[in-house]
Amino acid sequence: MPSTPMTADPLLSVRDLRVTFRLPQGEVRAVDGVDFDLRKGEVLGIVGESGSGKSQILFALMGLLAGNGGASGKAMLGGRNLLALSPRQLDQVRGSEMSIVFQDPMTALNPYMRVGDQLAEGLIAHHGLSRDAAWKEAVAMLDRVRIPDPAARAQAYPHQFSGGMRQRVMIAMALLMKPAILLADEPTTALDVTIQAQVLDLIAELARETGTAVILVTHDLGVVARACDRVLVLYGGQVMEEAAIDTLFDHPRHPYTQGLLKAMPRMEGEESPRLGTIPGAPSARRGPGCPFAPRCDRKIVICDRESPPLLLEDDRRIACHVEAADAVA
Amino acid sequence: MAADAENLSTLQLQFARFRRNRLAIASVWVLVLIVLACFLGPYLFPFTGEDADFDYISAPIDFSSPHLFGTDDYGRDLLVRTLEGGRVSLTIGFLGALVAGGIGVLYGAVAGFTGGRTDSLMMRLVEILYGFPYVILVILLSLLFGGGNIALFAAIVFTLWLTPAVIVRSQAEGLARREFVEAARAGGMTSTGIVLRHIVPNCFSVVIVYGSLLVPEVILSESFLSFLGIGIKEPQASWGNLIQTGTSAMDTDLRLLLLPGAFLVAVLLCLNFIADGLRDAFDPNDR
Amino acid sequence: MLRFIGKRLWDGGLTLAALVTLTFFVMRLAPGGPFSKSRKISPEVLANIQKTYHLDEPIWMQFARYVKGLATFDLGPSTRFRDYSVGDMIASGLPWSVTIGIWAILVATLVGIALGVAGAMRRNSATDYAAGIVGVVGVAVPIFVIGPLMQVIFALRLGWVPVGGIAEGWRALILPVLVLALPNIAYISRLTRSSMIETLRENYVRTARAKGIGEGRVVRGHALKGTLLPVIAYLGPATAAIITGSILIETIFALPGIGRHFVDAALNRDYPLVMGITLLYGALLILLNIVTDLIRAWIDPRLRNGR
Repeated sequence: MPSTPMTADPLLSVRDLRVTFRLPQGEVRAVDGVDFDLRKGEVLGIVGESGSGKSQILFALMGLLAGNGGASGKAMLGGRNLLALSPRQLDQVRGSEMSIVFQDPMTALNPYMRVGDQLAEGLIAHHGLSRDAAWKEAVAMLDRVRIPDPAARAQAYPHQFSGGMRQRVMIAMALLMKPAILLADEPTTALDVTIQAQVLDLIAELARETGTAVILVTHDLGVVARACDRVLVLYGGQVMEEAAIDTLFDHPRHPYTQGLLKAMPRMEGEESPRLGTIPGAPSARRGPGCPFAPRCDRKIVICDRESPPLLLEDDRRIACHVEAADAVA
Repeated sequence: MAADAENLSTLQLQFARFRRNRLAIASVWVLVLIVLACFLGPYLFPFTGEDADFDYISAPIDFSSPHLFGTDDYGRDLLVRTLEGGRVSLTIGFLGALVAGGIGVLYGAVAGFTGGRTDSLMMRLVEILYGFPYVILVILLSLLFGGGNIALFAAIVFTLWLTPAVIVRSQAEGLARREFVEAARAGGMTSTGIVLRHIVPNCFSVVIVYGSLLVPEVILSESFLSFLGIGIKEPQASWGNLIQTGTSAMDTDLRLLLLPGAFLVAVLLCLNFIADGLRDAFDPNDR
Repeated sequence: MLRFIGKRLWDGGLTLAALVTLTFFVMRLAPGGPFSKSRKISPEVLANIQKTYHLDEPIWMQFARYVKGLATFDLGPSTRFRDYSVGDMIASGLPWSVTIGIWAILVATLVGIALGVAGAMRRNSATDYAAGIVGVVGVAVPIFVIGPLMQVIFALRLGWVPVGGIAEGWRALILPVLVLALPNIAYISRLTRSSMIETLRENYVRTARAKGIGEGRVVRGHALKGTLLPVIAYLGPATAAIITGSILIETIFALPGIGRHFVDAALNRDYPLVMGITLLYGALLILLNIVTDLIRAWIDPRLRNGR
């Protein structure tokens, strides 16, 4: 059994989260028993390859899974299990206590509605503000995310904004209600590299201002390094390693994390003739053992047979038979 | 999953998908049955649909009599007349769809492939023709061509080639920019050759999907024109004019309306289900 | 915005001009003039008729004369109903056709959209299957089969409505309107249903849901506009279909609308009347397409300011 200790008063507490999709060819487990805690005001990064299930974690929390998906487990926020709430009950949480920024700003905004209206909507629905009052706050927020000429731009339509600006609008929309938690699903992936850093910094800065905790999902370790306090490494729908950012980058212990870091191009450090790669590709087929076993270069016999338990060591959690064996030794 | 699929051509995969659609396959069988009945059925009877049998005027349905479904008020056997009417309607339907589709495909392929001003001009013409209310155009054309059966056929075809042309044109436009066209040209192929041997075949799936709807459209057009008296005229039978005769007698005798009506509806339903099936099989993006 | 309307009017004008020219020459070139069907007429009377109707002039002059007449809304005399002009004939029939047509469009749109939305929101439920059946029947069963059947059931057997004719006032229009609307109800409901299903899958609807504003607001405020766009685009062709259908309906239900006049005129080679009605329909469709384009641009801001 995974031994995840109770952090002092976590804001959000997730235990044994599983997300399954019903496909014609059978069931697919996208998220396979994930635990973590989120503390107030911290920025937690969730890192993984495509198909690791990281985005589905966010969607499960917000009740936005596709029709053929189902989530089980516990996600405790303010004494309620988000996963057990009906859509109606979730509506009280969504958009006000917990909000989300999606990956693709081009399609995430309603093309037929003025930006100001899309921003004001949440305030009107949750706080009962009048349209004028809501618009005023919306314009103020647009200013905070550094959209020039916010009053005029609020009257505009999404297609009249550039990609980076649209993402700022999404961020404004998410933070306008001063949520306790902000979920960000690969918020910079669809943007130009030059804009990515700006948007990340904006998220971090505003979150700090409002005291909002952030869960930042990404496949890019650079993003994680720049914006996060702690990192969760996900593979095959399971947590492989979790640690504070410096700890993880300086001393990665899980083979997968080590592989990821080796694959990152670095500016400093020794020169190596090649970027490291992790052989193989993620596969949907899940055997009984560790999901990373097929691609691991340090595996031992037990890795293919049993799923490694998530163990707490010092200030990190790690799920690896080899590391556990080393630690004991 | 990619490793599992053998080297089936796309076409084979698409047909396999179609075959799994039970409604569509059932419709194919029913349609085949009706076609056989209409073309071969009349030979099973000793009389034709135009022979007046004075012993049985306006006879009702009676399976013991030589006239199974009765006769009309001229003494003509209703079943045989309906089957013969089916020959006319079905022939016009399939032939018309083929011709209209053929013209449309060629027109669209040429327009899309040539591009430029020729394309604009050709499409302008289509736009203008599209602006005409359909029935007006058909009636006008049928008058123009003399009002006979050939005129009817020409008129229907002339109005229905537009949609295939528009669809094929946008396909062709996309294809014309692809590299294999460049390659063909570099190999010395003439434009005509390219259009015929590369563009048209590649539009196949689009043509199948939209073309299959042409057949019921043609049959419907011919039927309602015949119903109005502008299409196939008495004494020749077509489902349209048979239904028309049926309506004038409907307060007393429904079967004159119901028999040809049932055949027509059955054919149209089958064609629609088949067209839906083809669409699902060949164009999985839809739906 | 004005430029937008202006451009569409100009395009429409061109189409109308093409329509006029085409129709005129089709009429003149078609075999069987308006008077060749009558019994033998003496050469003097024939010459006289030719003179009265200007049939002896070169064709270009006839065309010019016709166009000039159009400018003053004079569509010429009907060659069959000697005492009436084409304008008179159209004026007498128009109110009936327009009434039926407008009601049919209203019914078709409202019922169609309602069925489509209901089907999309409760997929694979009884409602959805019922709507699906309507969809198939309306599209595959022709008007001239449904019409008479309805007449038999509701007029002859049940006696709820009159079989046809206009003697009983508005009650006579119930059945014609319903039958005329049916194919469009079918098509519009299918269109709405698939459009709504697709729209509900869009990313921006997910964003709206994520804001916790409630499913009702999500559907009404966000999904509806996207859903209705293709339906509105279809209104142009829908009206054309209703015009086509009205011709049949007027014949089946014996209503004196312009559709019926058109068929009679075509059968009797009354060319001026045929032309007049053709032009009317053509102009109507062009106007309608402009209106639907305007509505679409109003809903979807991306369509404004040129393509």
